[in-house]
Amino acid sequence: MDWHKVWVVTRHEYATNVRRVGFIIMTAIVPVLGIVVLVFGAFFAGQAQQLGAFFEKQFEVGDAPIGVVDASGYFSSIREEYQADFVPYESETMAVAALKAEEISKVLVIGEDYLETGRVVVVSLGSGFSAAAVSDSETVRAFLVDHLLEDAVDPTLRKRAATPPDVEPRVISSGGETQGEGPWGFAFTFIIPYFLAIFLVTTIFVSSGYLLQSVAEEKESRVIEIVVSSVRPVELMAGKVIGLGALGLTQVLVWVVSTAGFGSGAVALLAVAGATSIPMRVLVLGIVYYLLGYTLYAILMAGMGALGTTMRESQQLAGVFSFFAAVPYMFSGFLFANPNMAFARVLSFFPLTAPTMMLMRVPLAEVPWVDVAGSIVVLLLSIPAALWAGAKLFRVGLLIYGKRPTLKEIWLILRGRD
Amino acid sequence: MIIQVQNLVKRYGDVVAVDHLSFEVERGEIFGLLGPNGAGKTTTIRVIMDILKPDAGSVTVLGQSPGQMKGHVGYLPEERGLYRNLKVLDTLVYLAELKGVSRPAAQERATALLERIQLRKWGTRKVRDLSQGMQQRLQFAASLIHDPEVIFLDEPFQGLDPVNAERIKDFITDLYREGKTIVLSTHQMNRVEALCNRILLINRGRAVLYGHLAEIKREYAPHAVRVRAPQLPPDVSGVVEVAQDNGAFNLTLAEGADPQDVLRALLDRGVEVLAFEVAPVPLEEIFVATVSGEEA
Repeated sequence: MDWHKVWVVTRHEYATNVRRVGFIIMTAIVPVLGIVVLVFGAFFAGQAQQLGAFFEKQFEVGDAPIGVVDASGYFSSIREEYQADFVPYESETMAVAALKAEEISKVLVIGEDYLETGRVVVVSLGSGFSAAAVSDSETVRAFLVDHLLEDAVDPTLRKRAATPPDVEPRVISSGGETQGEGPWGFAFTFIIPYFLAIFLVTTIFVSSGYLLQSVAEEKESRVIEIVVSSVRPVELMAGKVIGLGALGLTQVLVWVVSTAGFGSGAVALLAVAGATSIPMRVLVLGIVYYLLGYTLYAILMAGMGALGTTMRESQQLAGVFSFFAAVPYMFSGFLFANPNMAFARVLSFFPLTAPTMMLMRVPLAEVPWVDVAGSIVVLLLSIPAALWAGAKLFRVGLLIYGKRPTLKEIWLILRGRD
Repeated sequence: MIIQVQNLVKRYGDVVAVDHLSFEVERGEIFGLLGPNGAGKTTTIRVIMDILKPDAGSVTVLGQSPGQMKGHVGYLPEERGLYRNLKVLDTLVYLAELKGVSRPAAQERATALLERIQLRKWGTRKVRDLSQGMQQRLQFAASLIHDPEVIFLDEPFQGLDPVNAERIKDFITDLYREGKTIVLSTHQMNRVEALCNRILLINRGRAVLYGHLAEIKREYAPHAVRVRAPQLPPDVSGVVEVAQDNGAFNLTLAEGADPQDVLRALLDRGVEVLAFEVAPVPLEEIFVATVSGEEA
């Protein structure tokens, strides 16, 4: 291996691709989002509570009062503090007439058996969405609870029963350390690393995609034959993998620095408590899985990229790997609920899904060490195998013009001499 | 010898592309590598360029294995192209660095070559901005960027207009005068006749003609002479047939007749001989006859 030539290819690939508009836009996304968060934070500085109230209000049932038709007897005499929001009607017909006249926003029809069944009919005009929103409305819930318990219990107890708990997530590791405290701390501890992991996975796709594109372009433009008359295919492949890997790392670095920087800025501006940095465990493992995953996919993409006769064909051939790598994405909903479920653990040991699966699991929970070690070993063993096959396909595929090889021909290439 | 190929065999699955091929290329000559489509020319060149590995046989370039001599060999492939989005100068510098030339030397050499192919002012423009002819000149320059001792030119005239083809021909002649060794693969037999010292004609991966071009042409020459004269008398001694062709006469000679005796006989009979030559045979005819004979 002539490492000087590898370096020349590495530098060329990096310099050529770092100027791509697509790369610049993709890299700038995180800092730009960070700036938006900062501007947003500055605007609402010291008003975090109002901010919460603002969002809460967006989910309220509406400004117009609600009509109440009560057959149970518990809600006939509406308490003073609710009189602005609730208007009693003697019959459903009268209430519906008021609804049609837009004097009220909706009608609650409370049956005689409310105490036993809890059944309330909500009548609204047009969209059923606002009727459905009633069940989650804190005002309606407070109205119902307050009237039911009216004089039966202490007012403080009644108020507590009427309003939902103010949940403050606090997660501890097996060592007992607190990982996230308060809603903002929770967000900074889990959500940001999780999105960083998603970005890492995206970078793997983007960088290996550039590699595929680079190989396919050189082949399609026919410049490849001049290049392979100067460097050995394995040197060319190594240069491309390293150069575009460095490009991906540049992107990750920009993201991590801007996430940390803007994250701290946002925390300071919003005046909330919470972790401001990405946990070292997530960062280190994230980089490890990024490097291993990128190397594996890049080698396979280079091999498949060389087999296609056009960019489109190369992308089709490489699609099979992209599919496997995307499988963990499809289960991200389940992963959020239980990052250590059996299915996720199994996919963590399969080479084509291990990098993305582990990148998604690590920020969400403490992954068993056997999964971490096992998946790293699987990837370390898979990379030389991929290198053997990828280099072979790359070397032979580079000079195949005009016709895409069949599966049988690919098998013959892998078995045969270059 | 600059290049030695001995019993070279290269197969693609069941297809034998090159079949026990042997030849040598001498220092400082223009060597024609000829053959019909699919004869195995490009495969042979790719093996010599270390792009493909042979199944059997041996190849040496400047006495070494091809892989060790990449920096001494230039290559203009038949399937060629350039980085369309790269600047002209950067393209040459990158390709030179791949050949092991240092960056400063590559920049100096690239600038000089661009001057030589009349593209100096295009150095900072992107390749895609060049015309087709300019791109082909640039590709030609790319094969010389590292000042190689041996240059392989696979169909260098393909797709060129007459002006650019003539430029490339002059360029090849200049390189020959500078003492470079050139291996020229082309279907344009007139170019081979004008440029090559020796040729190898291959068909179905095997050598069917190999040697000095002049000797081959002499060997294949018909037993005939070509005479330019106002008119010819009948029954010239040693001549069995006379045919007029484009203001000249083609005289087919009798078995054993010497062209010098025929010339003497014409002069003795008072013919005003303006031109006299042993009838040449175009290389194209030798090519077609040999390949057709092989396939018959």
